[in-house]
Amino acid sequence: MTVKLIDNDSIELVGSCPSEDAEALFQYLLQSRNATVDWSGCKRAHTAVIQVLLAFRCQLKGPPAGSFLELHIEPALRRAGAQIRPFPAGPEVRNS
Amino acid sequence: MNEFVEQFLLEARELIEQATGDLLALEQRANDPDKIDSAFRAFHTLKGAAGIVEFEPMARALHAVEGVLSGFRSKARPISPAIIDECLACLDQVTRWLDDMAATGELPSGADPVADAIVQRFSTSDSDASTLPVGDWLERLSAGNPGRFSEARSALRYVPHADAFFRGEDPLALIEGLRGLISIDLTLPDPAQPFDAVNPFTCAVEIIALINEDAETVKRLLSEVSDQIEVHAIDAKPQAVSDLVLSPLARSVLEAQILLLREPGPNGRAARAASAGLVSINVLHHAGLASAANSIAGALNDADATSVITAIERALQRKTDNVSSERSETARTASPAAARVLRVDTARIDTLVNLTGELTVVKNALGHLAKQAQDGLDAKGVTASLRNLQTQLDRLVGEIQGAILRIRVLPMRQMFQRFPRPVREISASVSKSIQFVIEGDDTEADTAIVESLFEPLLHVLRNAIDHGIEDSAQRMASGKPSTATIVLRAFRELDNVIVEVEDDGGGVDVDRVREVAAARGLVAADTLAGMTEADVIDLIFASGFSTAREVTDLSGRGVGMDAVRTAVGRLGGRVSIASRPKIGTVIRLTLPFTVMMTHVMTVEAAGQVFGLPLDVIVETAMIPRNLIVPIGAAAAFTWRDRTVPLVSLAASLGLSSYIADVGQARVVVTSTGGQLGAIEVERLGGRMDVMLKPMDGLLGGMKGVAGTTLLGDGRVLIVLDVQELFN
Repeated sequence: MTVKLIDNDSIELVGSCPSEDAEALFQYLLQSRNATVDWSGCKRAHTAVIQVLLAFRCQLKGPPAGSFLELHIEPALRRAGAQIRPFPAGPEVRNS
Repeated sequence: MNEFVEQFLLEARELIEQATGDLLALEQRANDPDKIDSAFRAFHTLKGAAGIVEFEPMARALHAVEGVLSGFRSKARPISPAIIDECLACLDQVTRWLDDMAATGELPSGADPVADAIVQRFSTSDSDASTLPVGDWLERLSAGNPGRFSEARSALRYVPHADAFFRGEDPLALIEGLRGLISIDLTLPDPAQPFDAVNPFTCAVEIIALINEDAETVKRLLSEVSDQIEVHAIDAKPQAVSDLVLSPLARSVLEAQILLLREPGPNGRAARAASAGLVSINVLHHAGLASAANSIAGALNDADATSVITAIERALQRKTDNVSSERSETARTASPAAARVLRVDTARIDTLVNLTGELTVVKNALGHLAKQAQDGLDAKGVTASLRNLQTQLDRLVGEIQGAILRIRVLPMRQMFQRFPRPVREISASVSKSIQFVIEGDDTEADTAIVESLFEPLLHVLRNAIDHGIEDSAQRMASGKPSTATIVLRAFRELDNVIVEVEDDGGGVDVDRVREVAAARGLVAADTLAGMTEADVIDLIFASGFSTAREVTDLSGRGVGMDAVRTAVGRLGGRVSIASRPKIGTVIRLTLPFTVMMTHVMTVEAAGQVFGLPLDVIVETAMIPRNLIVPIGAAAAFTWRDRTVPLVSLAASLGLSSYIADVGQARVVVTSTGGQLGAIEVERLGGRMDVMLKPMDGLLGGMKGVAGTTLLGDGRVLIVLDVQELFN
């Protein structure tokens, strides 16, 4: 798998993440909403995966390995994170 | 020409025909869903084909039309004649490209600006029917990217379909493929949506981006999702003109040559100039810029690196208008010899393969027989077997001949479907409303006939529209519907294929034909007075005849109908006309089913054998000499109450006749173009089916000879053109 649940607090995306990873990532994030997603080993990610990251406004640990992700997607997620509502459940959404 | 391109040209032309037909049908019956679908499919397939041969501008232009058609399909936009015209114009352009490709074997250069113009035309008509809601996305984009707007040349909003993931699409991967990406923003449409309701399988993301690339290019690169994107041009920076005509690759190669030449160092500077110059010349020739290439060649002769650099730099800064005129010239001078390809049903080829197999069996049997004869089989046995084999061979050769002829057969549809378009244009140009009906387009005929009938038939149709059909006021006055009907029909009649053009116009004005024929001196006044109505009408096929009071664009220059008769005659056919005042005119083209196989009768004159085409022979007769009356230098006799001119075959061919002064003359009575004539021969031979070889090379212009074939004993049989014998 290119998406791995390391422990309750961290999920790892590695290599090239296909659209199927979106479902797994989604399930992991539903279980542990404050988990940090470490995508420093992620070279590419399907739009479906990015969409999950966007929806959950995840805490990301990077920078990602792929240049497109690093140059364009990470800044986009960062900007979107400021706009998106706080998580509906859980007292603390972001470890900021 | 590469096989791929050949196949492409073939298919593309068929698709263009189909698309044209569908578009014209749509004009008649807007919103016919079948026709919309069919046109859409044709454009789509054509676009795909262009993609396969990597002819990107064509694919781009067609894509623009496809977008419009898909708008028709979804009823998002109404079908209007103006849009149909645009679509047809696009097809015309594609046809021009195809002609170019057929002539040069290469992708036409300079297609980019043309394609851009087409895309532009469709996109302007597009913008008023944009399906995407225009939102505040531009403001959001500029707010999110302060200061970066100035770098960008276009702004993109891309809202993928909700089922994009299921379709296997990856929208961001498409964006990643764009060059000059400055920044991306991702938004989910409904931030208030409950978290659990986020569906990882549904694509809900909206992508907006700033791109340092012009809007057209972005649209082109994202053409596969064109219905989901919105592209705004931001301060379109004028592009260097030469960019349009020189591909980026060509530019960079030329620029590299300049760098190479500017490199310091005395060693081999002249040699470098020579090689860099040659490379540049090749690049420019490839881009179709012959004069630029020549100027570099000129600079090379000076053997001076600096002047070569200047010449290359000048080539890089060329103006487009020079280029396009130069290009069209090369296109015109290029040989128009398009590849002639025949599409054949596999079943017909299979028949041939089977027949070849049977032929092999007969060949083996012959070998066996030869061995038997060698081993001392008696002559009687050999003869019997030989006869048997000869019968088999005769049947097989006959069948193979038939099978091969069927390969050369095409349905008339291939030619007929090209007519609706010109008919529509011609009738529009003379403001007459015409319903054009095609009947029997599945009638088959020889390829040569199908291919060469287009021009003559177009003349006939043009005449029917221009002269035959009255204007609508006149039609109403004579109680006819204001929309005229022209029927183009084909059918088989025995060994002939008949093509008719029937109009319900005013018919041929016989008095006027008489007037004109007299005024132009086509026929002597007294002859004219004695001519029947049908004969007078037939005069419209005489050369130099035109009744149109004024010369229009279309017809009335006195060429046309006689050209039709000549063209059809060349194919071994005849043209006739039947006309009834106020009811209409029928022009009938009678053509042989195949131009390859001719039935001939052999005759002898001056000891030589000649062939006469059987279809002009009425009968053979023995005429007592005392009934033959000399008239001037010629002779005539009365046959079934008609006077028939008689020519001696030997005399008219300039051969000395051996005819003994016998009491009776052997004559062959012929009928050509409705005229009877008799040919005196020395001996009558048998009937033969021959494959006629037309005269070519030095003998190509020879009069009176239709072609030649070989006789069983190896002699050449000359088949005569009877009509010319009497002229």
